[in-house]
Amino acid sequence: MNDEQLNDLFHASRAQHRDTSRAEFAFETRLMARLRAEREELPLLIWARRLCPAFVVVVLALAGWTFASLGDWRTDAATKSDDLQFVQLVTGKTL
Amino acid sequence: MSDEELVASSLAGNDAAFAELVARHKRKVFAMAARFGRDDQQIDDIAQETFIRVWRSLAKFRADAPFEHWLSRIAVHACYDFLRKHRHEREHVALDENLDAPSHDTRNDAAEILHAALAQLSPKERLVITLLELEEKSVREISMLTGWSESNVKVRAFRARAALKRILEQRHE
Repeated sequence: MNDEQLNDLFHASRAQHRDTSRAEFAFETRLMARLRAEREELPLLIWARRLCPAFVVVVLALAGWTFASLGDWRTDAATKSDDLQFVQLVTGKTL
Repeated sequence: MSDEELVASSLAGNDAAFAELVARHKRKVFAMAARFGRDDQQIDDIAQETFIRVWRSLAKFRADAPFEHWLSRIAVHACYDFLRKHRHEREHVALDENLDAPSHDTRNDAAEILHAALAQLSPKERLVITLLELEEKSVREISMLTGWSESNVKVRAFRARAALKRILEQRHE
């Protein structure tokens, strides 16, 4: 296949226009119906988009709270461990 | 009423004005969609997607350029997204079409053969070669329509031509 043959193919294809009149029939009606449906959905989407930052804040707050709780638990565990060592030292007994 | 006035009226909530805008420009959009869609349903999908995007971004339209240019850019992007979405499906169809294609290439078959070969290109290659060779757009126009640089368009067009030749040679073997 050389350039000339390819150009011939393009030329032949360019000259052929597909008849789209059937697809075009009542196109405006179909489109406007879809637009009306979309317009009804739009307020929901707008609210969902507006609430996105609030959701992010809630997720971050939950993550922070969980992390902080985990920190407290670790401190408690460490304190309990110190208490046990003190009791062992004073009584000489292993608990 | 000019296109710009219809846009302003549509933005004010006049659906009839938008319908008039669609009626005025649908032929051009359908002609472009027909280069990429296989059947009436796919052509209709591309055209609907184009005008839905137009409707959604009407407020962004600046009247410093003709409405038609702005619409063409949206139509090209809708076609490109369609190609990306249907890429795998189209590759299978193209192979089937190749098998069914007649052995003698008459002038009427040319478009069919080219369509089947084009379907095997990547979406970017197909878009650029279609705009360049079938829609007869210049490199500069394609660059403006797609948002790609002119050198990028040239490189993609060169690669698309080479790939097309290879595909058509394989078909003849």
